[in-house]
Amino acid sequence: MNLHSLILLSADVTVEKQDGILGALATGAEEFIAVFNEGGKVLLSLMGGILPTLIVLLTAVNALVRLIGPEKIENLGKAAARPGLQWYPVRYIVLPFVAVFVLTNPMAYTMGRFLPERFKPAFYDSAVSFVHPILGIFPHANPGELFVYVGIATGIQQLGYGLGDLAVRYLLVGLVVIFIRGIVTEIITARMMKKGA
Amino acid sequence: MSALNNLIVKVGRSVGGVVGTLYQAGRDSVDTVIRNVIPFMAFISFIIGLILTTGIGDWIAEGLKGSASTLPGLLAISVVCAIPLISPLLGPGAVIAQIVGTLLGVEIGKGNIPAQYSLPALFAINPQVGCDFIPVGLALGEAEPATVEVGVPAVLFSRLVTGPLSVVIAYFASFGLYSNN
Repeated sequence: MNLHSLILLSADVTVEKQDGILGALATGAEEFIAVFNEGGKVLLSLMGGILPTLIVLLTAVNALVRLIGPEKIENLGKAAARPGLQWYPVRYIVLPFVAVFVLTNPMAYTMGRFLPERFKPAFYDSAVSFVHPILGIFPHANPGELFVYVGIATGIQQLGYGLGDLAVRYLLVGLVVIFIRGIVTEIITARMMKKGA
Repeated sequence: MSALNNLIVKVGRSVGGVVGTLYQAGRDSVDTVIRNVIPFMAFISFIIGLILTTGIGDWIAEGLKGSASTLPGLLAISVVCAIPLISPLLGPGAVIAQIVGTLLGVEIGKGNIPAQYSLPALFAINPQVGCDFIPVGLALGEAEPATVEVGVPAVLFSRLVTGPLSVVIAYFASFGLYSNN
């Protein structure tokens, strides 16, 4: 590449110009195709790396959910609707987790139908905030948005670290965050409803 | 004899049911992978190729290095993503979060951003999760129109508080993560 630019710089205009342009074109073409070669390498490493595991895991969890039957978790939804402090963790930790795990994004939000109106926005907030933290360990819950996690995880992998630590912490912090988010949104909703009424 | 017959039919049926379920599960997962996962991989691969081969990478690295490798920087990212007028625009398909996540991943891989910042970064790029989908999500939960009217701003304003808060929690939870190298 340096040679081409040297030729361009020192070119005798009448004779070397064509070579120069062709040379520049050739360099340009090489750089153009290099983008896609690099992209192809990345694609191959992604498809060879996480895809086989993902397909097998998706199959296993899909089968498990089908065998259990999604209707089994309805009782949990009814329990979460109860008032009282002790039901907060059920409503904003257990129910979102189970709903996202079993029903996956976006059907998980249908579990909101068991809750009274004043809890619905908070439950939605809680459940939707969990569709990414769950991906590190259970990617079946939201495979279309895998790269929120995988994008960053790929960098960790390149450094040669294991992903288990990050995946577990992402899940646990996610549970704490959705709990807080549920409570905060529930309070804000209650205030706004009072103002409106 | 009929009891034995019944037993055989029963066993056959349940085994068939399980095998059928497993097969259908496999069909579903391959379907998901082909329709949702591989297209996104193709798109992301193109972007990574572009970043790695052109100068764009260095330019982005300069921008991200300052903000993504300090707690205030990450907080700033999360506040911007949580602003009620911006968050619904950033939400759809989590495309923005996925692209930014991939960019950060590239920089973490190159060593420009410390590895333990991966955890708070996961939360910093994502306070807008689901903000585009609130009316639909609430409708899926059979909410009344009045609830939707209150629920949309309630969730959006809640994110202004819980978005940065999640980054702080994740920051403290990231102590000891990949630091013993």
